[in-house]
Amino acid sequence: MSFWRWKRRETELDKEVRCHLEMAARERAERGEKKEEAERAARREFGNVELVKEVTREVWGWRWLRDFVQDVRYGLRMLRKSPGFAAVAVLTLALGIGANTAIFSLIDVVLLRPLPVRDSEHVVLLKWRAHNGPSFQSYSSFGYCHIDQDGTEREGCSFSYPFFEQLRSQAWIFSNVTAFAGSPGLHLVRGGNRIKVSSPLVSGEFFQTLDVRVVLGRTLQPSDDVPSAAPVTLLSYGYWQNEFGGDRSILGKTLYLDHIPVTIVGVAEPNFSDLIPGQTSDMWLPLTLYSRVKPDWSGRGLDDNAMGWLTIVGRLKPGVSLAQAQTAVSLFFRNEMLHGAKPLSKEADDPRISLLPVQKGIVGNRWLYEKPFYILMIAVSMVLLIACSNVGGLMLARTASRQKEIAVRLALGAGRARVMRQLLTESILLAVTGGAIGVFLAYWSLAALRSSDWLGPIHDFAVKPDARILGFTVLVAVLAGIIPGLAPAFRGTRVDLTPTLKEGAPTLPNISQHGRRLNLGSALVVAQIMLSMLVLAGAGLLVRTLVNLKSIDPGFDTRNLLLIGIDLKENEYSEQQAQNLYRELQSRFSSLPGVTNVSYSSSVLLSGSLWSGDTSLERQKERVTRNMLAVGPGFFETMRIPIVAGRGFAAADFESTHKTTIVNRAFVRRYLENRSPLGLHLGGSGSKEDPGEEIIGVAGDAKYDDLKKGIEPTTYIPFKRGGGNFELRTAATPESLIPAVRSIISQLDSHLPSPDLKTQTEQINRSLFRERLVAHLSSFFGLLALALACVGLYGLLAYEVTRRTREIGIRTALGAQQGDVLRIVVGQGLALAALGAALGIAVAAGVTRYIQSFLYGVRPTDPGTFAGVGIVLAMVALAACYLPARRAMKVDPMVALRYE
Amino acid sequence: MAEKKERYQNRIELLQGTLDLLILQTLQWGPQHGYGISVAIRNRSGELLQVDTGSLYPALHRLEKQKWIKAEWRISENKQRAKFYQLTAAGKKQLTKERSKWSQLSDAIAGVLQPEK
Repeated sequence: MSFWRWKRRETELDKEVRCHLEMAARERAERGEKKEEAERAARREFGNVELVKEVTREVWGWRWLRDFVQDVRYGLRMLRKSPGFAAVAVLTLALGIGANTAIFSLIDVVLLRPLPVRDSEHVVLLKWRAHNGPSFQSYSSFGYCHIDQDGTEREGCSFSYPFFEQLRSQAWIFSNVTAFAGSPGLHLVRGGNRIKVSSPLVSGEFFQTLDVRVVLGRTLQPSDDVPSAAPVTLLSYGYWQNEFGGDRSILGKTLYLDHIPVTIVGVAEPNFSDLIPGQTSDMWLPLTLYSRVKPDWSGRGLDDNAMGWLTIVGRLKPGVSLAQAQTAVSLFFRNEMLHGAKPLSKEADDPRISLLPVQKGIVGNRWLYEKPFYILMIAVSMVLLIACSNVGGLMLARTASRQKEIAVRLALGAGRARVMRQLLTESILLAVTGGAIGVFLAYWSLAALRSSDWLGPIHDFAVKPDARILGFTVLVAVLAGIIPGLAPAFRGTRVDLTPTLKEGAPTLPNISQHGRRLNLGSALVVAQIMLSMLVLAGAGLLVRTLVNLKSIDPGFDTRNLLLIGIDLKENEYSEQQAQNLYRELQSRFSSLPGVTNVSYSSSVLLSGSLWSGDTSLERQKERVTRNMLAVGPGFFETMRIPIVAGRGFAAADFESTHKTTIVNRAFVRRYLENRSPLGLHLGGSGSKEDPGEEIIGVAGDAKYDDLKKGIEPTTYIPFKRGGGNFELRTAATPESLIPAVRSIISQLDSHLPSPDLKTQTEQINRSLFRERLVAHLSSFFGLLALALACVGLYGLLAYEVTRRTREIGIRTALGAQQGDVLRIVVGQGLALAALGAALGIAVAAGVTRYIQSFLYGVRPTDPGTFAGVGIVLAMVALAACYLPARRAMKVDPMVALRYE
Repeated sequence: MAEKKERYQNRIELLQGTLDLLILQTLQWGPQHGYGISVAIRNRSGELLQVDTGSLYPALHRLEKQKWIKAEWRISENKQRAKFYQLTAAGKKQLTKERSKWSQLSDAIAGVLQPEK
């Protein structure tokens, strides 16, 4: 606005002055003067047009703005004059700023984004704590809160429905309290297709408690959440848009979720797609629908107080403090655990409740990202520092060569502050241009990252810069402009005018002055090398970690293994039919060309899912804790897990009522001190009727849920019921079998939802996504840091060679050989690189322990890694030195000396 | 450049009060553009006062900023678009004030310069 007004005034003043001149000239012409002479005389009489304008403008004020515009114009002109410098500086800053914007965007989206809950500071999450966990008979959590498994106490966020009902009746604590579970895995039946929907079960108070509103219809109400109510659902905004094209007439229509008809009562507001940021739900269903949907996580009744499955969130009543509420809720919980319908805890376990602010409590998968993102943020801020000092070095060299220009300006009366502002404007101009390009780089690379599998579970977020991210970028860009501009601005304007103006253009400069400036330039290069060494060392350790993890022997052969997850949560399939389907699929898969073995198991190995529990062991007083895996026929052959004693499962083991089991070697080591377990029984009452499971074999050790965990005692049992996942051992590449597998499944039952297909290698990669993310990105940033630092080194040496052309010429004329010249230049460069590297290693050794918890199989001060990155750095630095050195060797003494 | 500018500024300061008065007085006879004002002052002073453009235009813009005069683009008698300045009500008041200040000043100066009786 003010700019445009100012612009208009400018043109008006211009017209006004022109008008004056024309009138004066016309009057003279009318008096008989010749036209040209009249014009000239008028102009003479008027005086200096620009000066008149200038003093008139001063009346307006706005001087700072005009100065600024002038600075920017002048800065642009200077940069246009040296496009090479401008391009390098802008690109360097763009990379630095872009990397920061990208990582900050990730942090913003994944870690900082607030929960979509209004007045969330009054909304709390219930978490139980106890010395020994309550003995729930069935316990499910749906990833809403993060459980610290390393602590000395047990903790959890899942509660039973009866406990929730009790809390609900205590209206004085919470103004609203809600309980919710995960999605029961229903399918939307539409036009013959069955598509899995994400439809969490939530109590009737859910939307009131979180204060979520609708764009259409109404939210779910407590009256919808009673067993007698007709099933209704609230759609999420995204699902409504994508599946129904935002059709407003959808209200009141009926959807079929498998066999259940549900009526749509509303559509939630757009910013509420799930309680957990980064996740999206399609719709929400009333909690009491639980008894009709029969989710796969449990077969128990709603009123079972030994089934922990509900996350509970409440909005504190005004006037009730967190401490008061916590005491009250704790009391209820303790009472329920010790004296409920089924007591689940002992007095000594001291079961109690903590109330956490929902923003801190409901973290979903976000906690997984905290460390990786902060590690990466540190890496990119170092990259930015390198970029800044790089540009600072370039500007320093440039100010040195602009010494005369600056001296002229100072001599003509420009204030030192004014010249400094001019220089700073130039560097901010570079940074802002770099920042603008950086934003594009950031969003382009984020989009690429999002479409890769590097980001793990949270990758489905909108890639768009919001106000906070842009604010961050602008801040970073301005800092990135000011920091490198400062040193040259101070240095450059401290000029001794007389000698600078007196002497001819390329002079032998004042030694002491130059020495100082060079020291600053060299210091900047040393700092860059040091920082890049630091980033590289960290990246090296993280890469070593990834390599170590990938080379862990899990005890089975992970290559050429295709995993097939089939969702059988079909009410049409009885237990027996499901088992028959598995057998049929097994035999059809086996007959595929390129398949060598086929089996199935209750869960996929190394996928993070684990089934464990404790039982009794024959002739042993203490109970034993072991992991369990139900496996189909041929499992050990397919996975290539050896049977080291006894036998594997035979066909009879899957049919007969005689229960058999196979234990792993870790089980034998832990509980039997290497005595033979064959013939012993697990569980059972010891009587003839209930002998428990007979141990018939011992299998080699294999990892179960997590590659990084040690081998735990595990028992394998014959797969007789429940849902399973197939494993195909292939001779060909596993991916090539995917079409054939799909067609077999749809031939057997065209109503089955499309299977989840992945190779075991992909599965491992998924489970290592954090390690892969930090290893890949940090090595990328490490290499970027190295490249920038070496550009800095190159720039310094190239400038040096130019400055010392005459000296080199004299040396050559006096008989110096090319080798001597090479030694001077390369020697100087390598000395700086070595100093930087040494400092970098020293600092790295001190700080890498902060990423220790992220390392596996490598010490934070691993000498091999440090030596390795040192060698890489030395090679690149050598290349950076060689180019200017070659130019120095080609200096022709005649040309160099005649230059004067 | 900086030096020259300073010279101009000094002269503005020197003439400021009087030039403002002259401009306001000139505009009392009707709206006029910058060139017209300078010609009018020259003619009425018997070619004695040459108004420097480097003082005239800053003064005009300053008076406009103080809302004593206002500007308007109009067609001049020579069929040319020009920026015409015009006295405002506040400007008329200011003129009266400046006139009495000036006559006080000139009386005072005259008194000082008069040979002693």
